[in-house]
Amino acid sequence: MKISTPIITLIVGVALAASLLFSDMTAVSTKKADLAAAAASASAAAAASAAATASAAASPADAQSSSATASPTASGFVIPPHANYVGQVQGDRGSVAVVVHDSFAIAYFCNGGTQEAWLKGTPHNGKLSMTGNDGARLTANYALGHARGTVVVNGISYVFSIIAVHRPSGLFESIAVVRGATIKAGWIVLANGTQVGSLNPNVNAAKPVSQAAPKLNLSTLTAQDGNVTITATPIDAETGSGF
Amino acid sequence: MAASLGPPAPTSQNPVQPDSAAKLLVIPALVGCLVALTLGIYGRLHSPTGVAVDIVGFSSPATVKAWLASVALLFAVIQFGSSLVMYGKVPWISAPSWIGGLHRWSGRIAFIVTVTVAVHCLYALGFETFNARVLVHSIAGCLFFGTFTAKMLALTRRGMPYWVLPLLGGLAFALLVLIWFTSAFWFFSIFGFRR
Repeated sequence: MKISTPIITLIVGVALAASLLFSDMTAVSTKKADLAAAAASASAAAAASAAATASAAASPADAQSSSATASPTASGFVIPPHANYVGQVQGDRGSVAVVVHDSFAIAYFCNGGTQEAWLKGTPHNGKLSMTGNDGARLTANYALGHARGTVVVNGISYVFSIIAVHRPSGLFESIAVVRGATIKAGWIVLANGTQVGSLNPNVNAAKPVSQAAPKLNLSTLTAQDGNVTITATPIDAETGSGF
Repeated sequence: MAASLGPPAPTSQNPVQPDSAAKLLVIPALVGCLVALTLGIYGRLHSPTGVAVDIVGFSSPATVKAWLASVALLFAVIQFGSSLVMYGKVPWISAPSWIGGLHRWSGRIAFIVTVTVAVHCLYALGFETFNARVLVHSIAGCLFFGTFTAKMLALTRRGMPYWVLPLLGGLAFALLVLIWFTSAFWFFSIFGFRR
């Protein structure tokens, strides 16, 4: 019996999809295994600085697989030394970015309006406990590919479960002096490219009121605040930019 | 009206002929629906990994996909053009003998390219609904593969109504354009043409 060509096309498509899915799964589990193996053999502190230098020079793709200080947790999750996580909080009330670079982490929450917070903290074995101004705090667990936790900003608690991303998605920051005041803006670019940003028009004010940030041009990394052009810096775990 | 006295009254006004021809479409349409539903349900239930295979020479999976989707669109445009010629809709061009081969092979290439993109979408990102663009893209992506499957199955059956293939082919083309506009076009317009 002869199989007609449209059926063959479909079969080839299904076979290709299956093999791609398989190689995606293998790639993800290989990354986990590499990170776990590297962690087992590396002695922490010396390797941490070496890896930071090496991955700053390497391309982002290399940095992902060659970073040498990952550690498996008791629960079996593998903890990458460098990772950018971004995503929306539950209920679509804002977005959060968590960037882990070796022994330091930066996080940002904003809703594209008045609610925003910058947080800092120290990662410890896949766990983050971070703090920011005005009582902002964030707790999270993170592992290869995803992070989940809670962030509290201005007394409101937001739950999130977010995924790892590469440039051009991620977290961007801009600090500039505009009209005599120091402004600080942050943008979160989600995995699908949607951006959300808030801008604090005077970081030294007693009670600063944030507003929506102007749209960040991701090709030039600039934004137009009134008639002033402000420049943004990526906060990127893979290159260490912004740390 | 004798028909109304018979036990299971058929609802059709003009019986038998168009009915049986359209019946051939039932199985391809059902299989197509099943494919679209399966993709949507998998994309919704599978927890997105955010990571997949890295491809050498590109800065991120998103750029790879934007370029591959554009390649698929290019072949789809060839599909559209060649089908117009095949159906004699372009008055000043009479269909050359190789037009069928061109149509089949451009279709195969476009399909294979879209499969590679779709696997990454489903595995790393999933079916998402958080804004209109993403929702439209997710739905159109599932429908595209359903429509394509239905068209491939419809090709294998003889005696289909004449409008079936142009309808399914046109639908697949329209969906692909929609998919491209809500992903690659949008990506390039935000991030610029980058590798």
